[in-house]
Amino acid sequence: MRYVLRRLLLVPVPLLLVVAFVFVVLRLTGDPVAIYLGLDATPEQEELLRAEMHLDEPIPLQFAWFLADLLQGDFGTSIQFKTPAMAVVAERLEATLVLLGLGLGLAVGLGVLAGVACAVWKDRLPDFVLSILAVAGQSMPSFWLGILLIQFFALDLGWLPTSGRGGWDHLVLPTVTLATFLVPNFILVTRISVLETAREQFVTTARARGARGARTLWLHVLPNAINPVVSLVGLQLGRLMGGAVVTETIFAWPGVGRLMVSAIFQRDVPIVVASVFIVAVTIVVANLLVDLVQAAIDPRIRMR
Amino acid sequence: MRRLLGAAALAATVIAGSMPAQAQDDTLVVGAAVFTDSLSPAAGGYITLSLVYQTWEPLVARDPDDKLVPALAERWEALSPTHWRFHLRRGVKWHDGTPFTAADVKFTIDYVTDPKTVYVRKGRIAGIAGTEIVDEHTVDIRTAKPAPLLLRGLADIAIEQKAVTEKLGQKEAHRRPVGTGPWKYQEWVAGDHYDLVANPDYWGGPPAMKKLRIRAISEGATRVASLIAGETHIIEEVPVDLLPSVERRRNLKVDATESSVSLVLTFDTRKPPFDDVRVRRAVDYAIDKKTLLQQMLGGYGSVLDGQLVTKATFGHNPKIAARPFDPAKAKALLAEAGHAGGFDNRINTLSGRYLSDVDIASAAAGMLSAVGIRTTVNVVEGGVWSQLDRNKEQGPMYQIGWFSVGDADFNTVWYTQASRRAYWNNAEFDRLWQEGRSTLDETKRLDTYHRMMEIMHEELPSIFLFGLPRISARQAGVEGWRPSRDSLLRLHKVRVR
Repeated sequence: MRYVLRRLLLVPVPLLLVVAFVFVVLRLTGDPVAIYLGLDATPEQEELLRAEMHLDEPIPLQFAWFLADLLQGDFGTSIQFKTPAMAVVAERLEATLVLLGLGLGLAVGLGVLAGVACAVWKDRLPDFVLSILAVAGQSMPSFWLGILLIQFFALDLGWLPTSGRGGWDHLVLPTVTLATFLVPNFILVTRISVLETAREQFVTTARARGARGARTLWLHVLPNAINPVVSLVGLQLGRLMGGAVVTETIFAWPGVGRLMVSAIFQRDVPIVVASVFIVAVTIVVANLLVDLVQAAIDPRIRMR
Repeated sequence: MRRLLGAAALAATVIAGSMPAQAQDDTLVVGAAVFTDSLSPAAGGYITLSLVYQTWEPLVARDPDDKLVPALAERWEALSPTHWRFHLRRGVKWHDGTPFTAADVKFTIDYVTDPKTVYVRKGRIAGIAGTEIVDEHTVDIRTAKPAPLLLRGLADIAIEQKAVTEKLGQKEAHRRPVGTGPWKYQEWVAGDHYDLVANPDYWGGPPAMKKLRIRAISEGATRVASLIAGETHIIEEVPVDLLPSVERRRNLKVDATESSVSLVLTFDTRKPPFDDVRVRRAVDYAIDKKTLLQQMLGGYGSVLDGQLVTKATFGHNPKIAARPFDPAKAKALLAEAGHAGGFDNRINTLSGRYLSDVDIASAAAGMLSAVGIRTTVNVVEGGVWSQLDRNKEQGPMYQIGWFSVGDADFNTVWYTQASRRAYWNNAEFDRLWQEGRSTLDETKRLDTYHRMMEIMHEELPSIFLFGLPRISARQAGVEGWRPSRDSLLRLHKVRVR
């Protein structure tokens, strides 16, 4: 319980760092007033907005105002759409979470199975083939794989829709694309972790007591080998989000990633801030869950 | 791994036994390249109008060729240079059944022009001094000065219903449009699609199809794939490199039109070497525009006639023609200007903003290098670009596209000091521009723009490259579709066989 509390207390720290970083980048990329008002603004309009945005005050004070607004859930008004930025982002969040969840689930599921297979048949044909496939999968850029999948499954075979959001069939290609570049990591980490655990003394003991191969694997080796894989989930979330940006663009998926990219191109700063913040919250919360799951699996972590 | 994943996907498909949703018989499905996050006429970029005008309408509209046509106003006349009378179309009903009247027009124009209102395109009708209701079907608009561009400006202002806006508030009224247009709002899913149903009582006759779905497909290759797969009937903006794969399919057709976007290479005429008009002309002779058009734009669109505006734009001067491709002459001009040994040069460009922009800039740079102007291409990120623009620091040459939306006033402004962005400074040109926008006399206006085009042709503040094309594609069974010069979707008469 104390461990959970301690982890919860740490949650705001990375969020604060992200917000500070966003603030600095925003101030670096130009005068916010110029971005908001465009080229045709009169000096009076500029003065008014400057005061309203507290830009006439010292930088640390500006940051305090910025934080205060964020704490009240006020991310500003979208420059393009004149609606609250957070509302625009929130509308897209569900689509992204569905995609991330399924992609991650598929990657972990396939990765662990294949990793175990590699470990069991170490240095034999399955290990060899799966390891090569893992390297190939990791070397394939998602945008290229996505287009190949569309070409093959949507156009040549006509089994799946090319893009957009609709029934579950719309999820298949984006999920597979997203999962493919994560699966290799999970295969390799599972493989090594299982191999290392299998060399531990308690496994030898179990074998000596007559436990059969499969039973040793599922009951003794895997529960002890799984923690590095769970850590990897936390570590991969950032990459996964990056992959989601590409995947959402290729498959016209109405998620936060695509919104964020188009907002960057349009210089719609409040939307960028709101989406970066939402992404950061998602990653921080997911990492918290990862830590809790690890603590649940491995009592040694709770004791630390 | 891919085999494994393929098998997984296959298994999943077989289990559910579902086939991808083909476009339904009574629904027209359009794959849009740009899809904004708003249905509000008050916000969003110009392209928002493509969605807004499915449900709403202006008083005066543009047709696909940028010509002005009656919409909610049946006809209009200028009672004096600053006093316009609009006769509204009778028998028009809002989607909720209430009749459209002069009160709605006055309400909309008043709130758009109110200084306190945030309305993104309010500048389009900035000259309006007041509106008066003459009777239920007649509205007068007064302008502070003679405003020849009022009608074109009104084409970008959607008329909204007074009663609905007052009841729901602007925000809510903009979320679920109640308009007079051919299509009625049904459902909006941010970033994915916009569903509409036909308005059977539309004054222009009911739409040819029962339903309309506009899908957001920003990636070009995916858009083309959706058309090939039969999920969409029409797609906007076919990427030039994918044109062959569409053209070779018998069940698909490509339609193209020339937009009013003029792609140009603008010089910093304040600094050497481009302060010398001979050097600018040398550049004009050195670029083989016809070959570029064939190679980079698939032969669609057109080479500009040695002037800023496209053929279809009001103000085009038929007496001016593009300078021919003549590298020998280019070299001679360079030698005459004291640059026989050539010089180093750079072209700034955005990436993906205009059709084939980086490719065109790179090929042009190659052609310039061939005559001794050693040119590199510098691809600039959008935010940096706007700062360079604002500070007039784009460097010796930069590539940009200027919209005219049918009238020369609109893109010539960028060459006047009024724009605060012009590198070139020509007093006669600035004066003519002011003249052109302050008289209602069309002949006089045309003469003015003809003279302005002559000045630009001689002085060459920019190299005039192309009227960029709009290239769309459709299923062969789609009838009544053509891409519009102004890029807005006009789908009222489109039918799928």
